Amino acid sequence: MAAFATLALRTTDLRLPRKAPLRDSTLDGARSLESFLATIERKAFRMAQIALRHEADALDVVQDAMLQLSARYASRPPEEWKPLFYRILENRIRDVQRRRNVRNRVMALIPWRSEDDDEGADLIAQATDGGPTPAMQLESDQMMVALEAALAALPARQRQAFLLRNFEGLDVAETAAAMRCSEGSVKTHYFRALQALRAKLGEFWT
Amino acid sequence: MMRDDGVATRMGGRMGAELSGDSEFERRTRELLTQSADALPAAVRSRLTQARYAALGAGAGRATWIATRRWAWPAGVLAAAALAVLVVVVPHREVRPTASTGGASVFEDVELLSDSEAVPLVQDASSGQGADYDFYEWAASEAGAANASGT
Repeated sequence: MAAFATLALRTTDLRLPRKAPLRDSTLDGARSLESFLATIERKAFRMAQIALRHEADALDVVQDAMLQLSARYASRPPEEWKPLFYRILENRIRDVQRRRNVRNRVMALIPWRSEDDDEGADLIAQATDGGPTPAMQLESDQMMVALEAALAALPARQRQAFLLRNFEGLDVAETAAAMRCSEGSVKTHYFRALQALRAKLGEFWT
Repeated sequence: MMRDDGVATRMGGRMGAELSGDSEFERRTRELLTQSADALPAAVRSRLTQARYAALGAGAGRATWIATRRWAWPAGVLAAAALAVLVVVVPHREVRPTASTGGASVFEDVELLSDSEAVPLVQDASSGQGADYDFYEWAASEAGAANASGT
């Protein structure tokens, strides 16, 4: 009977999932999640690409973040998705950077490694569809290259605060939720990022 | 955290001015970043679309699994409880013999008592069949007396 009593106690601790939505609401939720992911995927990719400076890694972390949001947080209210998604994305970016650091340390110990192991950039794949004139594109590209370099040189928290606030358009509270810090910290990181970027890019914007 | 809040407070005026409205610098950086996101290569956009559908498919699979698990949990608990009852209660249950039958089932008593053709266990003297008892008692007493006298 003791075993039965223990079993009965354990059953009270079970946390059953929330009430399963009806099929129609499930479909609506899937549609809204799809539209949410569609609206943020490009910006998310660019943020990951700026942080990682590697296209394939950026695609991987965006896909991982999408998977985790869809698998674990789809039942959350849609207004929570954006901070959650960017929190996941930043964690994935950090994971990749850590793995990269470890790999670089290991590879530095291997003297016979050839530089040919690195894949070259696929110029055809990087071609854009239409757009401005070549002169404008050139200027824009130069500015973008400079901006990317300046953003990549920022401390991670400053870069994150700047991109979430300025690029993604999150407000201070949402940015704080995504970064797991106070709103005051967000303001500080953003301000410092802005100052650092101005100092580096001033020549392109005057 | 405290330090950052303090810095934010000290910087109050300048930072408030920075955050109150977008400066030209902020507008231009945002515009540039947005352009770069809109002008992603087709291959990248295709990969992002594939990633989105893969994520949605995985999420749907997990939702189905959760819905299944929602019903599987109570069913599993009930099955476990029934198994526990069987394991704990059944081995302790045993048939206790009654004193009158020496282990025979009560059903056997009922059968014997209800059988009309069975030999009466106690014969009624008033029915004329009690003479047999008298004869056996006399025979036993005679045998006892003969043994006592040694004849």
